[in-house]
Amino acid sequence: MAETEKKEHGAGLYVGIWVALVALTTLTYGLGQVELGAWQLPIGLLIAAVKATLVVLFFMHLTEHAPSNRLVFATSIVFVGLLIALTLGDFGFRFKGMRPPGMTPLDLSPGAPAMHYTNPSDVGHGIQRR
Amino acid sequence: MAPSGPELAKPRDYLREETTLWSWLATKDHKRIGVLFLAAVIFFFFLGGLFALLLRVELLTPQRTIMSAGMYNRMFTLHGITMVWLFLIPAIPTTFGNFLLPIMLGAKDVAFPRLNLASFWIFVLGAAFLLWAMFTGGADTGWTFYTPYSLNTQSSVLPVLIGIFVVGFSSILTGLNFIVTVHTMRAPGITWMKMPIFVWTIYGTSIIQVLATPVLGLVLLLVAVERVGGLGIFDPARGGDPVLFQHLFWFYSHPAVYIMVLPAMGVISETVCAFSRKNLSSYRMVVYSTLGIAFVGFFTWGHHMFTAGQSTFDAGAFGVLSMLVAIFTAIKIFTWTSTLYQGSIVVTGPFVYLSGFLFFLMFGGMTGVALATTALDLHWHDTYFVVAHFHFIMVGASIMGFLGGLHYWFPKMFGRTYPEGIAIGTAVLIVFGFIATFLPQFLLGNMGMPRRYYDYPEHFQSLHVASTAGASLLGFGFLIIFGYLAWSLRYGPVATQNPWDSRGYEWMTETPPPKHNFHEVPDYTHPPHDYSAPDVPHIPEVEHA
Amino acid sequence: MPEARLAEHFATMDAQRRAGQLGMWVFLATEVLLFGGLFAGYAAFRFAYPADFLEGAHHMKVMIGTANTYVLITSSLFVVLATHSIKHDRSWTCAGFLLLAMLLGFVFLGLKFYEYYEHAQEGALPGVWYHVETVPRPGVIVFMTLYYLMTGLHAIHMTVAISVLGVVAYRAAGNAFDREYHAPVELGGMYWHLVDVIWIFLYPLFYLIVPK
Repeated sequence: MAETEKKEHGAGLYVGIWVALVALTTLTYGLGQVELGAWQLPIGLLIAAVKATLVVLFFMHLTEHAPSNRLVFATSIVFVGLLIALTLGDFGFRFKGMRPPGMTPLDLSPGAPAMHYTNPSDVGHGIQRR
Repeated sequence: MAPSGPELAKPRDYLREETTLWSWLATKDHKRIGVLFLAAVIFFFFLGGLFALLLRVELLTPQRTIMSAGMYNRMFTLHGITMVWLFLIPAIPTTFGNFLLPIMLGAKDVAFPRLNLASFWIFVLGAAFLLWAMFTGGADTGWTFYTPYSLNTQSSVLPVLIGIFVVGFSSILTGLNFIVTVHTMRAPGITWMKMPIFVWTIYGTSIIQVLATPVLGLVLLLVAVERVGGLGIFDPARGGDPVLFQHLFWFYSHPAVYIMVLPAMGVISETVCAFSRKNLSSYRMVVYSTLGIAFVGFFTWGHHMFTAGQSTFDAGAFGVLSMLVAIFTAIKIFTWTSTLYQGSIVVTGPFVYLSGFLFFLMFGGMTGVALATTALDLHWHDTYFVVAHFHFIMVGASIMGFLGGLHYWFPKMFGRTYPEGIAIGTAVLIVFGFIATFLPQFLLGNMGMPRRYYDYPEHFQSLHVASTAGASLLGFGFLIIFGYLAWSLRYGPVATQNPWDSRGYEWMTETPPPKHNFHEVPDYTHPPHDYSAPDVPHIPEVEHA
Repeated sequence: MPEARLAEHFATMDAQRRAGQLGMWVFLATEVLLFGGLFAGYAAFRFAYPADFLEGAHHMKVMIGTANTYVLITSSLFVVLATHSIKHDRSWTCAGFLLLAMLLGFVFLGLKFYEYYEHAQEGALPGVWYHVETVPRPGVIVFMTLYYLMTGLHAIHMTVAISVLGVVAYRAAGNAFDREYHAPVELGGMYWHLVDVIWIFLYPLFYLIVPK
């Protein structure tokens, strides 16, 4: 019976990957309690990426699948990256007047409310501009 | 269905295999699914066309002609939605794509036939939501649903959003099916670089459908949830950002226009070879430019947002990237033109359509490059210049491609030929009707006439009248086309196996094909479109009990 | 023992298997793009409202979120062990592992809904419904809205994934699969793993912000 080649590994590999995932989760939780400033998000995402890679490659057997499957998945990641990058390219360099309200704290005068929020009863009927 | 001439014992083809209604509605045969989709998209083409004609009648005079301003807004919204999602996006892939992809690859069906059937019924479900929306007054937001207006308007937006969301699913499933079919079901002998160009363009289109449509689904879902639930993602009054909506919307909608035009380019690649009786000047160039359009098309969405308030960094980046994508289309136009050069031209209906396609794609494409120039777009954005540009592509290229493919593959699909003289005449009428409709719109836009405006200054009226006259010609022409094609289904002469003497792979099986496409899988030693090869093997008529 | 499950339009079982795998990867790619749009929205608003996001993090229940992460990772282990066991013809072990994964899935959802309930008690609801302070900062509300949208969409996918595993487990228990044919186990498992991967990325975005 012709078969695509399958590496015969035991269940031990999967348990090993699970241990790594648990360890990485504990690590990322620990780092999340520490004040890391601007590095908080990049480090958290990096660890998440390592965990995700382990799940995708080993739990989803991507290492054993055809190369076109790897290309498909990689392409989807690249395109999400593209979407995020150019969206940030917008928000990052926008003319001040076009920014979302309250984006720069200095835009608000001290003590003034951020904006007037409407009642839940307005929901579905459109905002009533006061 | 009497064939002209003496009764022959015709072999059972896919049309005659079973004839009950259920055998059609529950079919898993990709050819029948293609025919079901064909009926559906033609219906929506006429519906969208009706909306367009009503719009053009309204624009005959500056103030109210036949409808109120509110109704006018709903009319152009529904025209856009119907034409984009119920006609242009599905048109060629679900009809000719479904019918021909497996045959061109030497396969018996697509990879997931039941999923294919599901695609059709999901499309019908989505269309039903949209029809319901039309009956409850429809949306007045434009097909682009810009926020915050789409969040606040009292018009019937929610069923429209649901309908498009559902139709989007159909699009994704079709794309998925075609990608897997191309990867895993090619007959031995058909390597990647021996696939017909039409297959390449459907493949490229499917990649776009699969990657882009989910983002559309998401953004419409967010608008719906924000409308109903008062969330604040796109509404500045709630801390949200309306330009974020535009980023997410155009991330889909720009690649979507390549979904609408790439398959038509595939049709043209096939018919250019058939009607100049020559191989393509460069198969590789057309393949690479197809993939180029499919991928680079994703990098350009912000050129719809030059005046929306995005950063100048993004505007610059998108402007440059938009120029890049035009290069691939130019490569194709050069290749097709050089294929025609010194070919043995055969003038037929499809040939007139491909000629129209080439001219209009060129003008439409070049005006696209002009619009991508940020400084010029500041003047032209939201004017009729943009409307004319995209109609040159959508009608001048995509619809001409659709009609060309419909005529070229009509014998293949239905076993009948249509009257060529009338076809050529009507095609010429369509070409002139098209020019009369949309050329004035470039002038209108450049003079400052805004799009989606109900009311306009007197001095624009003569151009509007010219455009409406052209639109009537177009409508008349389309009616004639579907008239003689419908007539030919029943009374047209029975087609031979290869009426165009083409070398396309699809002509290497019976016309129309049997249920499983082949009695024996053909020999694919010759590359596709190879006119140095002798005629395709003739399949002898087999007596059937 | 299942009879040969070769569909009539495929030339070989191998082609059918490869087609199924590619089809599922393409589908997973669409799910990645679907969530990708929301990640883009998160990125944009986090950039726009950095201080407000830090303030919004006060509402997050880090212990529940972390527990849920462990729950999902473990459920993924059970799913891959289910695939592993069916490759060794152990149908009932396979079904058992799938049921365990489903159970953990329900635990996840239970914790999630408890979390939502707690948020609601505090008034930390999305959009116009937010009523923690009388004068909320806009970015805080956007943060909560994104939280509900992203974890809510994830929870919907979780529910679908549990149902998928349920169907597959039922069939596995009925001896529908063996070492030669077990595509639904593998493909259903892939969907589950993707839902896990999405959560792996959601976790740092919402729970690993040190609140000010």
